[in-house]
Amino acid sequence: MSSAPATSDLVSLTIDGVPLQVRKGTLLVEATKMVKQEIPVYCYHTKLGPAGLCRVCLVEVEGTPKLQIGCNTPVAEGMVVRTRGENVEKGRAMVLELLLVNHPLDCPICDKGGECDLQDYAIAYGRGSSDLADPKTSKPKAVDLGPTIVLDEERCVVCQRCVRFDDLIVGERQLVLKDRGHRNMIATATGDPYRHNFTGNVTELCPVGALTSKTYRFKSRPWDLRRTETSCTQCSVGCRMNIDLRHGNVLRTMSVEGDDAVSDWWLCDRGRYNIGYIDSPERIKQPLLRRDGTFVQIGWDDAFALWAKAIRSAIDAGGPERVAAIGGGRLTNEEAYLLARTMRSLGVKNLDWRAGRQRQATPGSSGGTLLDLERAGAIVTIGESPAELAPVMDLRVRKAVRHGARLIRVAAQEAPPSMPFQDVADVAAAAAAIPANVTRVALIWDGVDNALAHAAFAALSREGRTLLTYIAGEQGNARGAEAMGMLPFAGPGYHVADAGHDFDGICDAALSGKIETLAIFGANPVLNSADGAHVRAALQAIPFLVVTELFMTETAKLASLVLPAAGAFEKSGSMVNLAGDVLPTSAALAPPDGVLGDFEIVVGLARALEIELPDSDEIERATIAAAAALPVGIAFGDERFAGAAKKDLSGEGLRLHVLHHAFAGGGTLAHDERIAALQPEPTAAFAAADADRLGIRAGDRIDLVGAGGTIGDLLAERRDTLAPGNVAFVGLRSGSAANEIAVGSRVRVENIRHSDVPVEA
Amino acid sequence: MPVVKVLTDGIGEVDLTDIAIYRQRDGYRQWERAVRELQSSEVLDIAERSGLRGRGGAGFPTGKKWSFLPAGDKPRYLVCNCDEAEPGTFKDHMLLERAPHLVLEGILLGTYGIGSHHAFIYIRGEFKRGYEIFSRALEAARAAGFVGKNLFGTGYDLEVTIHRGAGAYICGEETALLNSLEGKRGEPRLKPPFPAIAGLYGMPTVVNNVETLAYLVPILRNGPEWFAAVGTERSKGYKIISISGHVRKPGNYEVPLGTTVRELIEIAGGLREGRTLRAVQPGGGSSACIFEEHLDLPYDYENMAKAGSMLGSGAFVVFDDTTDFVKCAFNLVRFFAHESCGQCTPCREGGHWLETVLHRFVEGRGLASDLAMMRRVSSTITGLNLCALGDSIEPFLKSVLQRFPEQFEARVLREVASA
Amino acid sequence: MRKQLFNVGAILQGLGITFKYMFAKRPTIEYPSIKKQHAPRFHGLHELRRYADGKERCIGCELCSSACPANAITVIGAENSPDARVSPGERRAASYEIDELRCIFCGLCEEACPTDAIVLTPRFEMADYRRGAFVYSKDRLLVPTDAGVGTPPDERPNGIPADLGRVAEVKSTTNVDRGYSATHRGEVLKTERKGLAG
Repeated sequence: MSSAPATSDLVSLTIDGVPLQVRKGTLLVEATKMVKQEIPVYCYHTKLGPAGLCRVCLVEVEGTPKLQIGCNTPVAEGMVVRTRGENVEKGRAMVLELLLVNHPLDCPICDKGGECDLQDYAIAYGRGSSDLADPKTSKPKAVDLGPTIVLDEERCVVCQRCVRFDDLIVGERQLVLKDRGHRNMIATATGDPYRHNFTGNVTELCPVGALTSKTYRFKSRPWDLRRTETSCTQCSVGCRMNIDLRHGNVLRTMSVEGDDAVSDWWLCDRGRYNIGYIDSPERIKQPLLRRDGTFVQIGWDDAFALWAKAIRSAIDAGGPERVAAIGGGRLTNEEAYLLARTMRSLGVKNLDWRAGRQRQATPGSSGGTLLDLERAGAIVTIGESPAELAPVMDLRVRKAVRHGARLIRVAAQEAPPSMPFQDVADVAAAAAAIPANVTRVALIWDGVDNALAHAAFAALSREGRTLLTYIAGEQGNARGAEAMGMLPFAGPGYHVADAGHDFDGICDAALSGKIETLAIFGANPVLNSADGAHVRAALQAIPFLVVTELFMTETAKLASLVLPAAGAFEKSGSMVNLAGDVLPTSAALAPPDGVLGDFEIVVGLARALEIELPDSDEIERATIAAAAALPVGIAFGDERFAGAAKKDLSGEGLRLHVLHHAFAGGGTLAHDERIAALQPEPTAAFAAADADRLGIRAGDRIDLVGAGGTIGDLLAERRDTLAPGNVAFVGLRSGSAANEIAVGSRVRVENIRHSDVPVEA
Repeated sequence: MPVVKVLTDGIGEVDLTDIAIYRQRDGYRQWERAVRELQSSEVLDIAERSGLRGRGGAGFPTGKKWSFLPAGDKPRYLVCNCDEAEPGTFKDHMLLERAPHLVLEGILLGTYGIGSHHAFIYIRGEFKRGYEIFSRALEAARAAGFVGKNLFGTGYDLEVTIHRGAGAYICGEETALLNSLEGKRGEPRLKPPFPAIAGLYGMPTVVNNVETLAYLVPILRNGPEWFAAVGTERSKGYKIISISGHVRKPGNYEVPLGTTVRELIEIAGGLREGRTLRAVQPGGGSSACIFEEHLDLPYDYENMAKAGSMLGSGAFVVFDDTTDFVKCAFNLVRFFAHESCGQCTPCREGGHWLETVLHRFVEGRGLASDLAMMRRVSSTITGLNLCALGDSIEPFLKSVLQRFPEQFEARVLREVASA
Repeated sequence: MRKQLFNVGAILQGLGITFKYMFAKRPTIEYPSIKKQHAPRFHGLHELRRYADGKERCIGCELCSSACPANAITVIGAENSPDARVSPGERRAASYEIDELRCIFCGLCEEACPTDAIVLTPRFEMADYRRGAFVYSKDRLLVPTDAGVGTPPDERPNGIPADLGRVAEVKSTTNVDRGYSATHRGEVLKTERKGLAG
């Protein structure tokens, strides 16, 4: 298949005297861009399509008496189009004058001022004056639309981009246009706060200053900002993202227009709004050494020397198997590569990036791209869906479903999505639910249960069908870490290496006193692993534990040596996203004084150990080679990645599932006060049968009691799609007892407090 | 006097809401004949040959509209537009309340004509009585075996669904009506695609006016030639004209198309004693005025267009010399501004702006510059809108601004004007 | 002898000049106790004005800072709390700083201001020993709440505000009523031009 369209698909036309050929069905507004002309638009958006509302994109088409709208007029053979001229200018000037009839002229205080389409077009195409002699319509200003967005009704030009985004892209249909005529207003349909994982995009879609982000309100003017393009590392999608700084502070993040391959031009609210941690006063800014039970500040040279000494003495005493290193999912490729290389040069084989519940990040040779995903005819999710783990990937799922794909969830515990779906109990039922005529099936896995993934791959594989696999897991650069060799059994580029212990093995070895020193780079297994209490005990048994972190996490608190590390926006490098795209990340700002990047930390350690390191060119070459290596030897649900047999978790009571939420967790989320309102209310969902049996109504407050402790004061919810015998908990955060109770273990419900007002399920 | 009784036959004389009386007068005979003896395509052919044009306002040839439906096995729908809200129009209201079975038979014939099995009637929210009468009529017809499954034993099924509007003028626009019918916000859709390709629930759909469909019954009864023999060259047949305003006997009058404007005024009893005619608005609130010099024009689609106006829905409003055209213009512009759905800019903002300015004129606080501004704004927004509502603001305002500028100038605030 | 007499004459002539100026009005003034009157539109230290109700005029829009050719102004905006409004609208200046050492006193900030908040007063005494002291923030720029609204730019008095102390009674080199003489190195280029604008 050639990418060049066949000649019969092309249409010849003339725009402003320039002849061109474009694909049949192309809209004039898009065709015009090809001849480097601009048609002003408000309601049209490349990703939302035409709406024909603003009427500013007027063009003259020869042979039609009236002006046509460029946004909904497809090209036709022999068409002669003029995007300027007296008629066009008169029409556009009229539309702009009308838009300004009720638009307040408060540009000096408007956050959009300086990057506002209404300002720009009014200057470029407007009349410059108006005959308006009457007062403007007064509407509510600074309407609190939800936890993220403030709405100014007066500034709204009713392009309905936000309404259409909510309908066509997200499918939540929360925003609607209320009332009619010049009195119409944007509001949520129910009056409830505007809340889902993608609300921030409406502030970028809004061509005027009607929708603004609470976090950015009045902080700056656009011309003050310095922009850096990078990739978001919050999850494994790796959306391209612009970071806007003023005076060295990250003020906002914006999506990158034209990024069709990865983000599809959108950002999730986690990626967009979780930036307040960067200048949090709680960041660690100096190496901290535990001495007599408290941390004391030390210098970097001393820290490296102590660390090197600990490694040397461990190797001298018992060989390199007494040394281990964890990390990579939050590191750049270069950092992960250098860490693995430094450790392996010492003979250390106990290397792993996995410190949570996810076991595997590389979906094998059947891995698909994000563009493939939206063209799938059926999508099967096993384990947790990508809705919270990789929100922007979930938008691709929604797009595919909107185009007619069937969404099938296997043994799902999450709340039903706002799109058509089908819940099945097992992979055999999922295979049966796929329509026979579907030739492209996407299989999305959360990377936890390898046996399930393996079974699903086998069950869904069929002659004449393309099965595309995806792993949407916990850590941003997990796939990069695997490619860089942060695996106990593979080196860079998935080359098989001498096997060491994986994270579970390291913990077991530590408990039997066989690990002298462990370095954890940017991971918080005490909070994020399936059995936090077990991990805590293991880490406490290690004589010299080194943790590089931004904050004093649950894991860092156990360390002998805590090293302050740079955050994602403070270092350059590359990452590999879940679809295998190698994406550059660029430092937008310098880390705080006294803080080093993980790369410099590894270099410092290597120098202290007197290890010869390759020069930066070689690291770059090796990193790119490893990142681009095809994962040929890796199966989907590969048994080498699988964890050791689980502890026996059977017993009486309900099985506890801890579900991810974009805003639930520790680390950067716990230290960002700007997004406090976005954190979920801790909730426990019960199957209808269990709720009835236990006498729990939706809206009640309950406690969950398990072997490790009590998760108190949870909001109870009934979930009909949940299988009986399970309880799904959302709202993990630092300090919660939830990570003291092993995921999958049994809990019982206590202390039911009925709410006065029953909530409708 | 050329007043005829075709659709209006029997109205005011017998109770046509009673199915028995309607059947005595040959009711449902054409429906039975169509299903038993005619192919759908034959009904379409009859409609096409009769020269029947849409009676709702646009005057689009009915048969041609039907023929736009693409062939294929997708479900297709007929929607009867009974959201009559054009200022000055009250003919569908009368038909719905006084001749519900005639309307229903017309709907059935139209549905059969396009080969559909499901018809919808969208009844304006305010027509509560009409809705009740029509609902009873539909039940009676269903009981008599004219609506439902396996009609007349031929295996042909047809269902009719009644939907009540909620009082928005814009829902008379066919795509806004379809949105409203689907349960969405009543706002016009972007065209293309047109309803014939993707209408109700995305399926091929025909939207016809009540009167248009009702005329199918006499056309089938008397043959298309009977209908085509009446009227002018391109405006065939009869039309119910809703005459109102400064006449002695306002009301619905059914006449052949091509009756002169002067005759229509006389039919309605003429002007009152001592009054002289100033203007006639011949096609509802959206049409421009015509004046004395147009009195001898035949009232049909072409001649009204030639006079700079339109026949529209047949709402014929007569203005005599007591008329305050500033107030009239304000009233109509206020109506359109109020009824604008507000999705597209020219109609939403332009209508509201003109309303505000005209309100000042009504109160005697106009500015001299406003007159030029109203001409400029109203003429420029025409043609820029998503649907026809925004284009309806200009015609009346423009025609009276041109003809009676002194009425507007008299309301200009002199102090400010000279300052 | 003749030569000596000539010298006496020169001495007398010189003394005459001296004596003449002993009784003439002195052009020097005793600055800083006495100050000279300025040109009516003299550009001196900035001032942030208030409305009569005490609210700040500045809305933190940063137009002054973007107009500033010397990059001397830094404004950081913030949201007004509805309960305790600092300025009338939604936005206020959380921080407003002018580096008076960078400032070239061109007055473009004053031109750019949409609310007439920033004005240039005739005050000029900003001497200090530390460079940092020349960064004026809101605490020094803003008219104190008890000092009225500040000087409106269009109604600036033809002189010095009262709080600057005793004003010299010398005539300014420029005078709106009388016009002025344009000179270059003592040579009068143009005299008695009436008014500043004309």
